[in-house]
Amino acid sequence: ISGLFRNVVGGNVLTKEDLVKPIRAIEEHLLNKNVAREAAVRLCEGVERELIGVKTASFESVETTIRSAMESSLRRILTPTTSLDILRSISSVTSPSQLNPLSPQPRPYVISIVGVNGVGKSTNLSKLAFFLLQNRFNLLIAACDTFRSGAVEQLRVHARNLKELAEREKLGKVELYEKGYGKDAANIAKDAVAYAAQQHFDVVLIDTAGRRHNDTRLMSNLEKFGNFANPDKILMVGEALVGSDSVGQARSFNAAFGSKRRLDGFIISKCDTVGDMVGTLVSMVHATGIPVVFLGVGQHYGDLRTLNVSWAVDMLMT
Amino acid sequence: MVLQDLGRRINAAVSDLTRSQNLDEKAFDGMIKEICAALLEADVNVKLVGTLRKSIKATVNFKDLPPAVNKKRLIQKAVFDELVKLVDPHAEPFKPKKGKANVIMFVGLQGSGKTTTCTKLARHYQTRGFKSCLVCADTFRAGAFDQLKQNATKAKIPYFGSLTSTDPAQVASEGVAKFKKERFEIIIVDTSGRHRQEKDLFDEMTQIQRAITPDQTIMVLDATIGQQAEAQSKAFKDTADYGAIIITKTDGHASGGGAISAVAATHTPIVFIGTGEHMLDLERFSPQPFVSKLLGMGDMQGLVEH
Ligand SMILES: Nc1nc2c(ncn2[C@@H]2O[C@H](COP(=O)(O)OP(=O)(O)OP(=O)(O)O)[C@@H](O)[C@H]2O)c(=O)[nH]1
Ligand SMILES: Nc1nc2c(ncn2[C@@H]2O[C@H](COP(=O)(O)OP(=O)(O)OP(=O)(O)O)[C@@H](O)[C@H]2O)c(=O)[nH]1
Ligand SMILES: [Mg+2]
Ligand SMILES: [Mg+2]
Repeated sequence: ISGLFRNVVGGNVLTKEDLVKPIRAIEEHLLNKNVAREAAVRLCEGVERELIGVKTASFESVETTIRSAMESSLRRILTPTTSLDILRSISSVTSPSQLNPLSPQPRPYVISIVGVNGVGKSTNLSKLAFFLLQNRFNLLIAACDTFRSGAVEQLRVHARNLKELAEREKLGKVELYEKGYGKDAANIAKDAVAYAAQQHFDVVLIDTAGRRHNDTRLMSNLEKFGNFANPDKILMVGEALVGSDSVGQARSFNAAFGSKRRLDGFIISKCDTVGDMVGTLVSMVHATGIPVVFLGVGQHYGDLRTLNVSWAVDMLMT
Repeated sequence: MVLQDLGRRINAAVSDLTRSQNLDEKAFDGMIKEICAALLEADVNVKLVGTLRKSIKATVNFKDLPPAVNKKRLIQKAVFDELVKLVDPHAEPFKPKKGKANVIMFVGLQGSGKTTTCTKLARHYQTRGFKSCLVCADTFRAGAFDQLKQNATKAKIPYFGSLTSTDPAQVASEGVAKFKKERFEIIIVDTSGRHRQEKDLFDEMTQIQRAITPDQTIMVLDATIGQQAEAQSKAFKDTADYGAIIITKTDGHASGGGAISAVAATHTPIVFIGTGEHMLDLERFSPQPFVSKLLGMGDMQGLVEH
């Protein structure tokens, strides 16, 4: 989009008319980056509102002014407002301060992974497991996808691989909790958490079945699941490949756990498959205000990253 | 359902315009703008929407329309034709023949629904009298063979795979050879998910294809895919030269415009759509009736055939 609108340069007060064409250009730019239209339009409206009546700096074109305004709104939207230090929050639950007599008893920290079909829930759960093992936590992986063929075996393979890795590298310990297929996921989750407490596991990672967000029956099961498993963190996996549907996915899952419970974060998977088209990040955060906690960048255990906001903004602006 | 909202919006835009009292150029431009917004919201490729906008404008050529001409009909037809063009590549899809081995290889991005759809398709042909079977050439994904095995068992379809091999081309050719010898007519080969950014994965796809020389390669695309659809589907086309597309997860809320853009980008027909997680959730697809239904224009079929 560079080089297009250099007509208004320096020291001008911007009017709506000056902004029409360059705003349209930047909107199209965002759409090309796979930002959902709803989010792109709203971001552009914000930038327009911000700039009408503003005096451009000397020697600065309208386009440059818009670009830097868009850059900062993207930065703002993607920068989390609360701490996402998952290791610290796990430790505070598994080993509460000994000095404070009012501290609660240690208990396992529970993380559930949810999302639509095939986005990478089970794989990214395994990557998260690897990350926690490296940090010397002991993990119980709960196989609560009791529907999709091979779901339990998939996790069994991951648990076995991770166990070998952990033993070789002297990391934490890991075990699989499974009850086969066809049973109620919420009940298994609850039993897994109880078992983990009894066996002194630090963290329970609960896998769930994929469900489309317009399936009211499967979505309504999530509330019971949330109540039974009572997770410390509910992470939703959203896929970088997904287009506009990301908005609806994020909203529906965020609303599925009842009025008192929201999602705690997103894992945006398959970022390695989209090049610089990382718009899904923006769409999902825009729809909910829920932060991105991790990015999935490949199919191997090490392919999990925390979000680098500057990197994402660069990708979106190039 | 795929494209339903899109159809409703496009239809509304066209009839709003054609119903309005003064059908002037400004109203016409407004309609085109609304249609393009609807297409973009449905994830249709941004460049493609630009082309479509120009094309409708040029076909209708509003400024030079003589006053007597039936504008309503002209505009409706222009929109309809452009949409059909989007999903109809005018390429005949492959039809398997009875009495010989038809080898069908599945390819696609990670998690798009290949393994699930393999069984659905095998079952589809099975009930139409073809002796069908499945080969699992995904030696990478954890639990891939178990998944295929469990699906195949439920559908009572013979299968082949390996829990220990790490060479998908090897497993694929063993499986295909075995089933050819046993005179199976439909041999469907499932492969791992892959993407264009990883060259090794694409090389592996080529190796499998060389090993089994399929009669048909099918690309499986998820209805939720966004703007990456074009680049990925083109890269798969260049490497695997697939001859058909299956769009999955059309029971979701996504409009499917991204997956449909792949048709335009690769001139490859959609042959089936997946409509759910269960074995029977597979429907045949053909473009023109689809668009007519989409636009609620039963009479448009007649228009096109003139
Ligand atoms: N390239 C890439 N592939 C990924 C990533 N994360 C997951 N995948 C792949 O995506 C596919 C689906 O992953 P799963 O973890 O089975 O997805 P899921 O959401 O658990 O699927 P269901 O349980 O069937 O709904 C697998 O082939 C994974 O290897 C990623 O970050 N990058
Ligand atoms: N709702 C719905 N879900 C589907 C459909 N087709 C497949 N799925 C689901 O999508 C998820 C991924 O399907 P798979 O068949 O494992 O996908 P895949 O392409 O084989 O995945 P990889 O082998 O990891 O690349 C599973 O949860 C399936 O149940 C469909 O038409 N509708
Ligand atoms: Mg899973
Ligand atoms: Mg598969």
